[in-house]
Amino acid sequence: MDFSRYNQAEQAQINAMIEHKQMKDFLRLYSNLVQRCFDDCANDFTTKSITGKEETCINKCADKFLKHSERVGARFAELSQQVIIIKL
Amino acid sequence: MSFFGGNAMQSQQAVNPQNIAMAEQELEMVTDLFNRIVDSCYTKCISKEYQQNDLTQGESVCIDRCVSKFFDVNTKVGEKMQQMGQQNMPK
Repeated sequence: MDFSRYNQAEQAQINAMIEHKQMKDFLRLYSNLVQRCFDDCANDFTTKSITGKEETCINKCADKFLKHSERVGARFAELSQQVIIIKL
Repeated sequence: MSFFGGNAMQSQQAVNPQNIAMAEQELEMVTDLFNRIVDSCYTKCISKEYQQNDLTQGESVCIDRCVSKFFDVNTKVGEKMQQMGQQNMPK
């Protein structure tokens, strides 16, 4: 996304907007991840607290998803660049 | 009245709300696209067994291909819709 066609005041406002959206996105990521790991891992209701097995599962779940998200982000950035170059 | 010694083109510091709205829309689109790719490719590539903390080699390759395919599908569907739009025009 190229913002050089906007003037300085607009760019400042856009940057503030981007920051706001990034925070919103981060919170969404967090609640999404909690949901996902709970659905996939927390299946033993014979006890109130998280079992060791569940805890390991949750660690792996969170790690995996975050690494996955990171990798998708990297590929996404690469491919978006390519698309922009082709359009030019 | 310009305090900025530099670029004359940018000395008008008026904010055009339409530009902001446009930028916001573009950002929304990109963010939405990204989130959908993350969700779809997670479902398609990563098993729920959670054997280990890291991505396996297979999963990594799958993710790369998944993102690439998603973009291709995105482009193709866009072209198709453009085609259909043009077909509906000469009436």
